[in-house]
Amino acid sequence: MSPELLAYPFLFVAIFFESFVLVTFLSRPARAARARGPALFSDPALPFVAIIVPCLNEGETVAATTESLLALQYPKEKLEILLVDNGSTDETPEVMARYAGNPRVHILREEKRGKHHAVNAGIAATHAEFVGCLDADSFVEPDALLEVIPSLLDAKVGATTAAMSVHQPKNLLQHMQNAEYIFGITLRHVLSSINGIYVTPGPFSIYRRSVVVALGGFREGHKTEDLEMALRLQKNGYWIENAPRARVYTKAPLTIGELLKQRTRWTTGFMRNVSNEYRGLVGNHRYGALGTIVLPLGFIAIGSGMLIFCLALFMFVRNVVSAFTLRSGIPLAYAWLPHGATFDWFYLPSSMYILLGAATIIGSLTLITVGKRLSRTGGSLSRGLLTYLFLYGLIAPLWLMRATADVTLGKKRAWR
Amino acid sequence: MSLVARNVLVALGITIALVATVAYAINYLNGQRLAELAAIEDQLSIDTLSLDTEFSLLETAPCSENTEGIGLTRELSDLGDRLSYTENQLGNGNAQVIRLKQQYSLLEIRDYLITKKLAEACGTKPVTVLYFYSNTGNCPDCDKAGYALSYLRDTYPMLRVYSFDYNLKLGALQTLIDVTKVKPELPAFVINGITSYGFTTLADLEKKFPKGALASTTPPATKNL
Repeated sequence: MSPELLAYPFLFVAIFFESFVLVTFLSRPARAARARGPALFSDPALPFVAIIVPCLNEGETVAATTESLLALQYPKEKLEILLVDNGSTDETPEVMARYAGNPRVHILREEKRGKHHAVNAGIAATHAEFVGCLDADSFVEPDALLEVIPSLLDAKVGATTAAMSVHQPKNLLQHMQNAEYIFGITLRHVLSSINGIYVTPGPFSIYRRSVVVALGGFREGHKTEDLEMALRLQKNGYWIENAPRARVYTKAPLTIGELLKQRTRWTTGFMRNVSNEYRGLVGNHRYGALGTIVLPLGFIAIGSGMLIFCLALFMFVRNVVSAFTLRSGIPLAYAWLPHGATFDWFYLPSSMYILLGAATIIGSLTLITVGKRLSRTGGSLSRGLLTYLFLYGLIAPLWLMRATADVTLGKKRAWR
Repeated sequence: MSLVARNVLVALGITIALVATVAYAINYLNGQRLAELAAIEDQLSIDTLSLDTEFSLLETAPCSENTEGIGLTRELSDLGDRLSYTENQLGNGNAQVIRLKQQYSLLEIRDYLITKKLAEACGTKPVTVLYFYSNTGNCPDCDKAGYALSYLRDTYPMLRVYSFDYNLKLGALQTLIDVTKVKPELPAFVINGITSYGFTTLADLEKKFPKGALASTTPPATKNL
């Protein structure tokens, strides 16, 4: 049996999922969400909102994060900013202290007990109707909050997510992540229309405070408190919405080592939460698209990412070995230099594996482009698309394998 | 029906349609390839007749200046490449591929015989290689041997290499095997009538050629399949 055959079911599932996302994107609920405009600054009914910024050694970025919050277009008397120091040992407390005199900013100091404690401290310190989180390495567009508010008005909505992209990507790795984040914009927008969101990311997710309090606040959640909270909201029947034009920019890992660490944490968090506390959601019709499609496909995606990578690696090594074996002893100039090569349709590669793989890639690139247009995210995506195309498939399996090994062996890693 | 269920069905339909389209496209492309091969085959049938006629004419004047140009054309070489590629795509059990290989082998044998007769009549000493291979998995060195022969043929254009699938069911080929007494120990080479078996390195293969045979000159190339 050809090893390629092993990949066919996964390619089928990948194309199915992309088709599902595109079909749902065109469905009425998603269209209605896109048609939803921002709230008006002058609307007297705008709710009171508190944004919590949990900080652990974020001295370099917390000032810019705070400034971006202070620049939000929102009535001053209805916006509160809570800077929560989570036991920083760098200059974070001093940077925070600069905002002590600002009536809209409140500074809290906590022991180092985890991000979830810091967020809970912020929630306990406010009476705002909605509480938002903004990681201290993220920055919001001035209109982000006005974009978010309309998606929160329905009482059954427990939280809403924003449209994340990478803040000023500098190297190829960050460009790759930027494309991936923008893919996530499309995905979250589509999944929110069928209540299939399984994570409310740290950068600018906004929660109905009463709901979070009723559910017992944030938990450690296997070091993915945002994912755990989203699953808990879903389990308790709340909707998680999305505001695709509420733009927030976040700092992304600059090196492969940092990226692997971050993504291993995210992936192990997903696997541990979903296979333990929230196992009951998987395959459960009561939880709609989340239970029947999103969570099962999450596991399939992890499995297929590893399998297709191993398969491609195996085929690459086999072909390289075969090419070298075939050419051994033949003069290099003949063996490795092209001779008489001209284009001829007859030799066009046309295997199912290649063509279905190409269809999957085209689908991904289309969804990324859709995400950029949908969120009106500025900047060029060409480098992001190229790096996503050529790098992502090589790097992502590394954290998938590492996370799978960690979960299997019960290994816990530090946050950073 | 819920929106999710409806969208799942639509997405499933799209996926099946896409996979079916891809399968159809591949099938269509392979069909086009076979059609092109058939067209080349038709042309080669004419070439065969032409070759036969040319040979008959030359029998009365075997060493005329026209003998320089006799032999299979570039199209045969191209057919060899295309047949090889198509065989990889469709498998060596495809009926049409087998039929084309039989036709190709017949043309090779015909060219080999003409070359031999002309050499006898005119006193020339062409270097001919009959190369027997198998692609049924029982000849691990056949790919390497074929590649090495391609290199020699491209480097020394006077060399005439004729490749034969040892297992191809074709009366003329079987007779050639009987006449040359080639045993099923593949790869096998008959270089200017001397039979040898197995392939280790290019250098070892080159040693099997007559001295001075591997010298660069111009003429046409034949392609091994």
